[in-house]
Amino acid sequence: MAVHVRRLRRKIWQVLSSIKTGVVLLITVVVLSAAGTIVLQRPVTEPDEMQRAYSPQMLRILDGVGLTDVFHARWFVALMILVSLSIIAASVERFPNAWRYYARPYKSPDKTFRKALPLQKQVPIPDEETGLVAAERSLHALGFQAERVVQRNHFSLFAERNRISEMAVYIVHASLLLIFFGGIVDALWGWRGFVKLTQGQQSSVVELRDGKQKSLPFAVRCDSAGQENYADGTPKKWWSQLTVVRNGQDLERKEIVVNDPMVYGGIRFYQASYGPTGKLEKLLLTAKTTSGAAEQKDLALGLNETATLDSDTTVQLSEFIPDYVIGDGRVYTRSNSVQNPAAHLVVISRKTAKRVNVWFPALEGFAENTQSPYQFDAVDLKMGYFTGLEVSHEPGQWAVWAGVVGMGVGLAFVFYVAHTRFWVVPVQEANGKLTLWVGGLANRNREAFEERFRGLVNKIEAEVKKESEAPAHTRVPSIA
Amino acid sequence: MARARVEQQPAATGTTLIVTVGLGIAFVLFMAFLNVVKTGNLLNESNLLYASLIFYAGAGALYLGFGVTGTDSYVRFASIATWIGLAANTGAVAHRWYEAGHPPFASIYEMLLSFVWTLAVLTLIAEKKFGVKVIGTVTMPVAIVGVVLMQLLRTEVHPLVPALQSTWLHVHVTLAMLAYAACALSFALALMFLIQDKMQNETFLATTSLFTIGIYLGILTRFENWGGLSVVAWNAQEKSEMFLQRGVRLFVIVPDLGWLMLLVMLVVAAPFVLYVIGRVRNNEALFTLANRGVFVSILLQIVALAVFLLRARAGQYPSLDAEGFYATSLAASPFILSGLVGGIFSSLLYLLLLWRRPDLERLLPTAEALDRITYKTICIAFPLLTLMIAAGAYWANRTWGSYWSWDPKETWAAITWLVYAGYLHMRITRGWRGRRAAYFAILGFAVVMFTFFGVTYLLPGLHAYA
Repeated sequence: MAVHVRRLRRKIWQVLSSIKTGVVLLITVVVLSAAGTIVLQRPVTEPDEMQRAYSPQMLRILDGVGLTDVFHARWFVALMILVSLSIIAASVERFPNAWRYYARPYKSPDKTFRKALPLQKQVPIPDEETGLVAAERSLHALGFQAERVVQRNHFSLFAERNRISEMAVYIVHASLLLIFFGGIVDALWGWRGFVKLTQGQQSSVVELRDGKQKSLPFAVRCDSAGQENYADGTPKKWWSQLTVVRNGQDLERKEIVVNDPMVYGGIRFYQASYGPTGKLEKLLLTAKTTSGAAEQKDLALGLNETATLDSDTTVQLSEFIPDYVIGDGRVYTRSNSVQNPAAHLVVISRKTAKRVNVWFPALEGFAENTQSPYQFDAVDLKMGYFTGLEVSHEPGQWAVWAGVVGMGVGLAFVFYVAHTRFWVVPVQEANGKLTLWVGGLANRNREAFEERFRGLVNKIEAEVKKESEAPAHTRVPSIA
Repeated sequence: MARARVEQQPAATGTTLIVTVGLGIAFVLFMAFLNVVKTGNLLNESNLLYASLIFYAGAGALYLGFGVTGTDSYVRFASIATWIGLAANTGAVAHRWYEAGHPPFASIYEMLLSFVWTLAVLTLIAEKKFGVKVIGTVTMPVAIVGVVLMQLLRTEVHPLVPALQSTWLHVHVTLAMLAYAACALSFALALMFLIQDKMQNETFLATTSLFTIGIYLGILTRFENWGGLSVVAWNAQEKSEMFLQRGVRLFVIVPDLGWLMLLVMLVVAAPFVLYVIGRVRNNEALFTLANRGVFVSILLQIVALAVFLLRARAGQYPSLDAEGFYATSLAASPFILSGLVGGIFSSLLYLLLLWRRPDLERLLPTAEALDRITYKTICIAFPLLTLMIAAGAYWANRTWGSYWSWDPKETWAAITWLVYAGYLHMRITRGWRGRRAAYFAILGFAVVMFTFFGVTYLLPGLHAYA
C-alpha cells in the first residue's frame, strides 16, 4: 500500500516537473486568456449590454462555465497555481544538477572529456612550463585569470568567466513565481474602490467595486480641487489637494494629479475624475424694489438659504435645477451638468405670510415674478465640483516589482552573459612529443566564442614561439 | 541555369534603373521646390515627410531592383537614398516632438512616424552590420506604405489627455516599438530561412493565400446589412473620429462595399482551395492554375483598394445608430487600409519569390546562418517584450491604481510573451532548430500583429488611445 502511494506520488511529481506538462499548461493559459478577451467580461461590461450581446441560454452557459469572468474564476486561479507548481517542480528537479555544476566547477578535464570536447586544439611545446606560461599570458590578454590546477605529476590550467550565467534561468523562474505570488496576495487581500469628495468634505468610507463599503482607519479631506484646460478646451490636468485626517489631526498633505498618487498607510489615492456635482454652491443675485425706491442689494444664496431684504421681506432659494425641462406640470432636470439652469426663489412677507414664487428664467405657469415686491437679477452661478478618487490597496505589489526587476536581471544574464571556460593541459603524446591541449566551452553564443578560441590558440602559438627563441637559461625546468 | 542567366545580364541595366530613379527623384524634388518657393515655407514637418517619402520610394525601387536582378550597385545607391530619407524622417520626428512637446507616440500618426524611422534604422543596421542586403526589398516598401498612410492620417498636434502625460508611457511605447520591430525582423528572417531551407513554392502559395484570407475575413467582420461595410465616421473639421459617446465610435455603412470585399475574399481564397485540391489529388497542374489565381487576386485586390479609397474619400453615408448622413475618411479606417495594402504587398512578395527564387537563394545567407540570426533577434525581442510589459504595468499602476487589469491588450501582450517563452523553451531545452523553430517564430509574429492591430480593431478596451 505504502509502496503504491509512493509510486503514485513519484508519478505525479514526474508529470508536474516534465517540460511537456509545462507546455500543455502554457497552451491552456493562452487559449483561456484569449477566450477571456473575446467573450465580454462581467465586471467591466454592464449587465444589460451582456444581455444585448448574447441570447439568454448562451449567457447562462457562459456564466455557468465562468467564461464571463475568466480572470477571476476559480478554475483560472487553480490553473495559475498549477503553472506555478509546474515551474517549481521543474526547477526543483533540475536545480541540484545545476547547482552541483555551479558549486563544483569542472577544472581537470580527463581523457574522455578531452576527446569529446568539440572545440579543442593541440599546440606543440618544448617543455611544460613554457607552454603553461604562454597559455597564462594569452589568457590574461583575453581578460581571464588562469588558475593552476595540481594534477598527479604536473599542472594544468583552468580559466572561466560568468559562472553565474548557469544559474540565471533559475533567477528568471523564481522572479516569475514572485510575480505570481504578489498577484495572488493582491487577489486575496487587495481591494479597489472609489471616493467622491466635494471641496472641504472628508470621508473615511470607500465604495468598493462590488458595491460594499470599507471603512479606513483614517479620513481623507479634499481641501481644493480643479481642472486646467488646453486652449482648445480639452482637459490638461486635474488636481486635488488632499489631507489625511486622523483623530482630528492633519497628518499628511499632498497635491495629487493624474499620474502622481498619494500613498498613506499602504493605501493609494489616485486622481481619477473631476466634474460638476450639479449642485449649486452659491447663486449670486441683485435685488431692488419694484418701485425702484431703495438701492440695489447684492445677495449670495446657497440652496435653502434665506436672506433678509427688508424688515418685512425675506427671500429663500428653494430649488436649483441644472438642466431643466418641463413636463407633466413639473420641472425636471435632465442631467447634472449646468446646461440649462433654472432657479426657484420664494419671496416671503412676514406680515401677510404671502409667498411669491420667483423663477429664473420666468417659466410660464410657475413664475409669479410680476407679483414680487422685489425684482431680481441673476448675476452668476457658483457650482460645486467633486473630485473622484480611485483608492486601492495592493499589498502584493512589492513582490511583483521585485519579481520584475529580478526577471530583468535574470534575462540579461540568460541571453547576454555566457559562461565561458578554457582548459589547458600539457599532454605527452604516444610518439613522445609534448603538446599543449587547449579546450574551450561556452554555454551560449558559440560562434563568437569559436572566434575567440581561435584567437587564443594563435596567441599561445606565438607566445610559445617567442619563449622557445628566448635564451635557454631564462627557462624554468619542468617538474615532470 | 538561373545563376548563369543573372551573370549574363548586361551591366547597362544596372545604370538604367539608377539613372531612372535618380531622374525621378530630381524631378519630384524640383516640383516640390517650386511649391516651396511659392509658399516660402521650407523646413516644416510635411515637407520633411514628403522628402523622406521621395527618397524612401527611390530606395525602395532600387532595393526591389536589387531583389529582382541582384545587381550590387543598386544597393549602394539604395542605401544612400535610405540615409537621406532617414535624415528627413529624423527631421520630421524632431519637428513633431518639438511642436508637440512630447515624444511622438501619442496617436496612430505619431506611432507610424516613429515606426518608419525605426524600420529605416534597422534596415541600415541589418545591411551594414550583418550584410543582409536584400532586407531593404521587404522593409522599404513597408516604410513607403507607412509614409503614405501618414500623409492620409496627418493630424494636428493634439494635446495629451491627463492619463497620457507620463514618462513611463514613453518608456512603454518606445520599448513596444523596439520589441515589435525585433519581432518583425525575426519573422522576415524566419521566412528567408524557409526559402533557403528549400520549402516548396506551393507551401508559400498556400500561406500567402491564407494570410490574405485572414485579412479579408477581418475586414468582413464589418460586413453589415444589404452588403454594406461599416467604417468609422470622420469629423472633417476636428480631424478626428466621431463618437456616439465616450469610447463608442460612430459607424457608418458604405453600401455595396461589403459585397466587393466578399468577392475579393473568394478570389484570394481560390489559390488556397486549388492548392488543397492539388495536394489531395496529387495534381501538379492545379498549382500552376493557383499561381495564375494569385495574379488575378492581386488585380482584384487593387480594384478593392481603389474602390475603398474612392468611396471613403467622398460621400455621405447613413448609420445604424444615429439619424442623418455622415462622412468618413481614410484616416478613420487605418486598419482596413493597412490590411488591403498588406494583402497586395504579401501577394506581390509571393510573385517575386515565384519568379526570382534562384536569385533570391543566391543572395540570402545560408539556412544555418538565418536560423541562428532568427534566434538571436528573438533573444533581443523577448527581454524587450518583458520590459515593455513591466513599464506598461508600472504606468497603469501610477495612473489607474492597478498594475494588471486583464484588459484585452494587456492579456494579448502576455500571450505574445508566453508564445515567445514557449519558443525559447523548445529551442533551449528541446533543441528545436530549423523548420519547427521558424514556424514558431512566424506564429509569434502573427500574435504580435494581432496584439498590435487586431486587438484595437476587433476587441474593446482601455488602450483606446492608440
